[in-house]
Amino acid sequence: MKSRYISIIFTAFIMLFVTACGGNNGGADSGRLTQFRAEDWDGMKISAITGGVYDKIILDNIPGAEPVYFYSLSDGIEALKNSRIDAVIEDDAALRLHVANNPGLRMLEPFVTIDEYGVAVAKSNDELLAELNEFIAQIKSDGTYDDMLKRWLDTAEQTPMPDIPVGTGETLRFGTSGIVDGFTFYKDGTLAGFDIEFAYRFASFADKRLDISMMDHGALIIAVQSGKIDFAATLFTITEERKQAINFTDPYYIGGAALAVFEEQTDNASVAPGFLQNFKKSFERNLIQEDRWKLIADGLQASLFITIFAFVLATLGGFGVCGLRMSKNPILRAIGSFYITILRGTPIVVLLMITFYIIFAKSSISGTTVAVIAFGASGAAFVGEIIRSAILTIDKGQVEAARSMGFSKIGAFFTVTFPQSVRVAFPTYMSEFIYMFKMTSVVGYISIMDLTKAGDIIRSRTYDAFFPLITVALVYLITASVMIWLFNYINRVTDKRLRRAKK
Amino acid sequence: MITVKNMRKSFGEHDVIKGITTTIEKGEIITIIGPSGTGKSTFLRALNMLDPPTDGVVEFEGKNLTDKKTDINEIRKKMGMVFQSFNLFAHMSVLDNLCVGQTKLLGIPRAEAEETARELLATVGLSEKADAYPDQLSGGQKQRVAIARCLSMKPDIMLFDEPTSALDPTMVGEVTAVIKRLAQSGMTMAIVTHEMEFARNVSTRILYMDEGGIYEEGPPDVIFVNPKREKTRAFIHRIKSYRYTITSEGFDFIEMMNNLILFCETNALSKAGAYKAQLIVEELANLMPKSEPADLTFSFPENQSLFTVTAEYGGEARDILANDEMEAIMVKSGTESVTHEYESGRNRLTVTWKPNQKI
Repeated sequence: MKSRYISIIFTAFIMLFVTACGGNNGGADSGRLTQFRAEDWDGMKISAITGGVYDKIILDNIPGAEPVYFYSLSDGIEALKNSRIDAVIEDDAALRLHVANNPGLRMLEPFVTIDEYGVAVAKSNDELLAELNEFIAQIKSDGTYDDMLKRWLDTAEQTPMPDIPVGTGETLRFGTSGIVDGFTFYKDGTLAGFDIEFAYRFASFADKRLDISMMDHGALIIAVQSGKIDFAATLFTITEERKQAINFTDPYYIGGAALAVFEEQTDNASVAPGFLQNFKKSFERNLIQEDRWKLIADGLQASLFITIFAFVLATLGGFGVCGLRMSKNPILRAIGSFYITILRGTPIVVLLMITFYIIFAKSSISGTTVAVIAFGASGAAFVGEIIRSAILTIDKGQVEAARSMGFSKIGAFFTVTFPQSVRVAFPTYMSEFIYMFKMTSVVGYISIMDLTKAGDIIRSRTYDAFFPLITVALVYLITASVMIWLFNYINRVTDKRLRRAKK
Repeated sequence: MITVKNMRKSFGEHDVIKGITTTIEKGEIITIIGPSGTGKSTFLRALNMLDPPTDGVVEFEGKNLTDKKTDINEIRKKMGMVFQSFNLFAHMSVLDNLCVGQTKLLGIPRAEAEETARELLATVGLSEKADAYPDQLSGGQKQRVAIARCLSMKPDIMLFDEPTSALDPTMVGEVTAVIKRLAQSGMTMAIVTHEMEFARNVSTRILYMDEGGIYEEGPPDVIFVNPKREKTRAFIHRIKSYRYTITSEGFDFIEMMNNLILFCETNALSKAGAYKAQLIVEELANLMPKSEPADLTFSFPENQSLFTVTAEYGGEARDILANDEMEAIMVKSGTESVTHEYESGRNRLTVTWKPNQKI
C-alpha cells in the first residue's frame, strides 16, 4: 500500500520538475525593429511553443531564423525580456492580448502569414448566412466591431461581457470551443470573449433566443453539418477544405501569425528563474488566477458523474447482454453476440459521435446524457462478457446440487452461481470502471466540459502546454488510485473469508 | 415409494437406457452395479429429473414426475442426492451449506436450522468443521458434509451417485461408514457404486445393469455368490481378478504393481495374502519372455480360499519355474500347485496357494 503512495508522489514530482524547467540562452538587439521583413532575421532566435505549428511557419517564412522551443508563450515572453531570444511568434490575436499585458512588447507588421476567420453555417442554411453577413457589415460600420475588439483583445483587463438582451423568437443554437483566448474562453468560470459577444449581439439583432453549447474544436464543424447547431464561431480559419463541408460568413476577423519583439531588452540575462520560482509561477497562473482550479474541480465532477451513471447503466445492460448470450434461444443468443461484436469493435469516440451527431442529432438531449448512454452501451458489452465468463467459471455441479435440493433455476442462480461469480468478476469489473473513467476523457468531443477539457481550457488561456496537462494527468492518477483503494477495501470487507483470515 | 415404468433415455442417437421397469419400496437399500457406460448414473439422475427420461414414467409417492404439471422442485426436497464430486457450495461455510436449504426452501428459522445443522455435523463426525469452508476439507470430509447437507432437508429417499469414486482409497472407509449408519437408521437409499464389498454389506437388493437395462437383480448374496446370468457372472468374476498385459521389456513396472496393491486393498485381502500375490506377480513378470505380449492374472474366488496367479506367454514350450534359480524357488515355496500347459504357441503357467499359508 505504502509503496503505491510513494510511487504516486514520485511520479508527480518528476512531472512537475519537467514542467517547471525549460528555457534557453541567446540574444541580440531586435527591439529597434518595427516592420517585419524576413531578411532581417538571419541568425535570430525565435520562440516556438513545443508541439505547435509555429516552428514550421518559421522554417517556411523566415528561413534564416532559428526556432527555440518553449513550453508556453509566457515562458517565451519571459525569455524575450531577458534577451535570451529575439522574438516570439504567435497568432496575432493572442499576441495582442500579451501586448496589452506586457508594456514594451510590440507586434511587428505585416504578419508572417495572413489568415481570414469566419463564422460557420450549414450549407443549406443560406438564410442564416445572409443574415449573419448583414450583421457583420452592420457592426463593422457602426463602430460596435471596434468596441468589441478593444474590449477583448487590446486591454489587459478583458472587461466583463456587456449585458445584451437576446430576442424572443425561436432559439438559435450556437456552438463554440471555449479555448481561444480573447474570442471564446472561460473567465472566472463563465464563457466570454469576442465570439460569445458576437453570438449574443447577433441573437439580439435577429430577435432570437440563444442556446450556447461548447464542443471540441474539431467537432464543431460536424455539429454544424449535422444540424446539431445552427452556427459556430471559434476563430475558424477559412480554408478551402472546410468550405467543402460548410459555408463561412464574410471574414469577421483578419489576422495571422505575427512576431513580437521587446523594446528595451534588459541585460541581466543571468537571472534565470529557479525551479521553485518557475513552479510557483506556473501554479499561480494555471490554477489560482481567475479561480482556474474550479474548472478542474468542475471537470472532475463531470467525469465522475458520467463514469458512475454510465457504469450503472453498463452493469444493468451487462446483465441483459449476458442473459441474451446465455439464452437457450438461438435468436436471442445471436442478438447478444451481434451487440457485443458491434459495441466492442467500435472505438468509443466514434460511438460517442454517432450517438451525438446521428442518433440524437435532432433532439435537444444534453451531451452528458448522450455520454452516459454511449458509455453505458459500450460498457454493457464489456460488463456482459465479464459477467458471462465469471458465471462460466462456476462449476455446474454446485448448481446441480442446489437443483437436487429443490431450488428453482432462479433460486439456484441467486443462491449459488451469482454470489460466486461476483467474487470472480470483481477485479475485472473494477478495472473496467477505472478504464471507463479514463476513457471519459474523450467526451470533450460532444460539448461536455470534463477534466481533460478543463485542462484544454486552462491551456488556451495561459498558453502553458505542460502544467495544465500534468495537473490533469495527476488528478486522473490520484482519483483512479483512490477508486482502486476503495474497491479493494470493499472487496476486503465484503469477503467474509478474507476478513476471517485477517483475524 | 418409487415406481419406474418403461424408462428410456437417449442422448442424441445414442440410447443409454432402453427400458427399465422397477420399484423401490420404503426402507429398501438398492445398490446399482455394473460395467461403466451402462447408464447407472443416468438412471439415478432420471429418478429426480436431473436428466429427465426421454420416455416412460417415474412415480414418486404417487406423483408422476414426468408430468410437466408436477412441481419438481417440491418433489426434490424429499429426494436427496449425493454426488461423486461432492458439489458443496464453495462460497459458504460448512454450517451455511447445511442451513441454506432449510431456511430458503423449508422456511425454517435460522436458529433452528443451525441447531439441526450442528446435530447433523455431529452425526457425521465433523462438529469441529462447522465454520470451515469446503476447500479446507479433505475429500472424505467434503462427502460427509454433502451427506449431512442432504439430510438437512429431511428427505424420504437418498440417491447416491458414486459417492466414493472421487476419493482417495484411504478416505473411502469414512464415507461408507456414514452411509452404513444411515442404512441402519432405516433411510431408503439408491446407491450407484463400484465398491463391491460395500455394496454387498449395505444393500437389501442389488440391481446389476448391463445392455441399457436391469440385466439381473436380487439379494446381494445371490448376485455376488451365485449370479444366474452369464454377464453378471463374468462381471462378478472380473471384479475378483486383476489382469495386466506386458507388451515389452520396458513395461511400466510401477504401474503394474501399484494397481495390484490397489486391487488387493479394494478387495480387503489380508496383508499376508496380498504380499504373496505381489511377490509372485513381480517374480513371474521378471522371468517371463517378453518378445510377445504376455499376460498376468491374479484372481480369487468369493470365499477367498484359494488364490491363483496365471502367467500366459508366447515362445517355445517352456516352464519358467522348472529350475533351481533363486526366483523360481521363492515363487514355488508355500504354493498349493504349479501347473504348466502349452497350447498353440502359448505357455500357460498357473500358480495357486492358500492365503493362510506361511511363505
